[in-house]
Amino acid sequence: MTAYIGRRLIEGIITLIALSFVVFGSVHLSGDPARFLLPISAEHDESVYEEQKKRLGLDKPFIVQYGNFLKKAIFLDFGNSFTERRPVQEILKERIPATVHLALAGMILAVGIGVPLGIISAVKRDTLLDRVCKAFAIFGMAVPQFWIAIMLIILFAGYWGWLPAYGRGDTQGWLPEWSEIPNMFRHLILPAGVLALAIIAAIMRLARSAMLEVLDTDYVKFAQVKGMGDRVVIWKHAARNALIPVITFGGISLAGLLNGSVVVEVVFAWPGVGLMLLDGVLSNNYPQVLGAIMVSGAAYILTALVVDILYGYADPRVRLN
Amino acid sequence: MAAENPALTFDNRAPTGWLQRIREARLPWIPITILLVIVFCAIFADLISPFDPRENDVRNKVQPPFATSDHILGTDKLGKDVLSRLIHGSRTMLQVTAPSMIVAILAGTVVGLVSGYSGRWVDSALMRITDAVLGFPSILVALLIVTYLGTGVWNVMIAIAATQWARFARMIRGEVLSVRDRDFVVLAQIYGVSPGMIVWRHLFPNVINTLMVLTSVSIGQVILLEASLSFLGLGLKVGDPAWGIMIAEGRKLLTQAWWIALFPGVIITIVVMAFNFFGDWLRDYLDPRLRRAG
Repeated sequence: MTAYIGRRLIEGIITLIALSFVVFGSVHLSGDPARFLLPISAEHDESVYEEQKKRLGLDKPFIVQYGNFLKKAIFLDFGNSFTERRPVQEILKERIPATVHLALAGMILAVGIGVPLGIISAVKRDTLLDRVCKAFAIFGMAVPQFWIAIMLIILFAGYWGWLPAYGRGDTQGWLPEWSEIPNMFRHLILPAGVLALAIIAAIMRLARSAMLEVLDTDYVKFAQVKGMGDRVVIWKHAARNALIPVITFGGISLAGLLNGSVVVEVVFAWPGVGLMLLDGVLSNNYPQVLGAIMVSGAAYILTALVVDILYGYADPRVRLN
Repeated sequence: MAAENPALTFDNRAPTGWLQRIREARLPWIPITILLVIVFCAIFADLISPFDPRENDVRNKVQPPFATSDHILGTDKLGKDVLSRLIHGSRTMLQVTAPSMIVAILAGTVVGLVSGYSGRWVDSALMRITDAVLGFPSILVALLIVTYLGTGVWNVMIAIAATQWARFARMIRGEVLSVRDRDFVVLAQIYGVSPGMIVWRHLFPNVINTLMVLTSVSIGQVILLEASLSFLGLGLKVGDPAWGIMIAEGRKLLTQAWWIALFPGVIITIVVMAFNFFGDWLRDYLDPRLRRAG
């Protein structure tokens, strides 16, 4: 087990370094930040340009520059955001909690709805309920997230006026004030629901097919023959084993959610890392883009790593591979 | 008479003519019809759309659907006809997704074939890269590419291709590995056939089915990705007739004019569903081994 964790850790670190190399390399290829950062008045002044280059460390060889970047990136130091004129690090500190809240809420909704529905539709195969669930899954995988988000805003925020359409309310940071909690949940419902939709569909189908397979095994049949109640057989014997693939998928989707929420964050003006990334992309704000992508990428790699290690604990067959 | 002769009975039951074969295949008619309608709209967009999709009609702006006799599905905030924009949107969708899919398929197939056939360090190096691309959410990869290439249709197409080829490479490599050690390949090697020829004549024909299935299953995802990138304002310009852009424009007016965002979303959902159904059918038809439980 230790060897397995060690191997996965090293793989994770290599991937992280590769990611930073690609990201930094593309900045390097895309143009000259020193020229980009020159004030308009000094645009053609070569001495100012050279000075700027030296100050930013851009006169050194590529490898040295990359090393400096890496050293700073470990402490989340990506320089100043061009548009907000303050350290990207500060912005990240405000944005990360928002994205994590949203991803966790979406994940809890997706698992809480998707797993029971999948198990029930496997047990009650080919009934009306199974068909309704299947139709919902087909719809959930085909509908554009940003569109369903807008439609829900029109209905719930505009037409009925039940829920807020935008933002995170007055919630800031990781833990809101006690009085702020109901309002925080009201703001979370719509974006988390939209985020969950596509995953619910996938989790449901996965849970259903895993459950069908397990229901067909000898040990489940034997438990039934032995005269055990349906409820015990389904939820204790079958569901536990059917959930292993679902858990892996859930973990990987959580990692994806941490990043994949760009579209949802944009539609709901949710002040998270995804929105920060898009703002950066649209305004050529390289430090901000670098920060957001490195943080998202690192979060993705780390979550995938944790899922893999947990999976190694749950299923000994994985470790041997 | 027929019952006495087993050969004759067999002949009678086997699908011979193309009409009979189509009947046996249980084609999914509804998705096929939808897709044909979309392709028809894309080709003849100029002929069938009632208005120019870029033309502003300031006297008739923000008209709800079915309110006037001219603009059946209403108009947007500059008076552009929603129906005409929807019809032209199908053309835009095909123009953006088709070339990027083709590039992704070509690149993925080449990488998969090379990786699967050459094995050893070439294989592990190529698969490392493939897994890295595959592991990352496509929208993040696309954003990274657009950041450094700039916004625009071409760059969005590059971004789509760059995120999609990996899936093809992985799948094709797996298929090649399962065929590589079969007798006909080994015999060809002993016979002295060049590696290029073996890949082209003996391996490639064996992965075509997988390729077709994977293509039809991925198209839906690609359409969604393209629409998302347009919606985020990374690809086409505001005013262009693309479904994602129409939804983005509708978002600005969502309390006054729900129809601008509603119709393109419905169309995207229907088209993606049609492709997904068609892909599922093709998978079952070409390769029953790939059929999943349920």
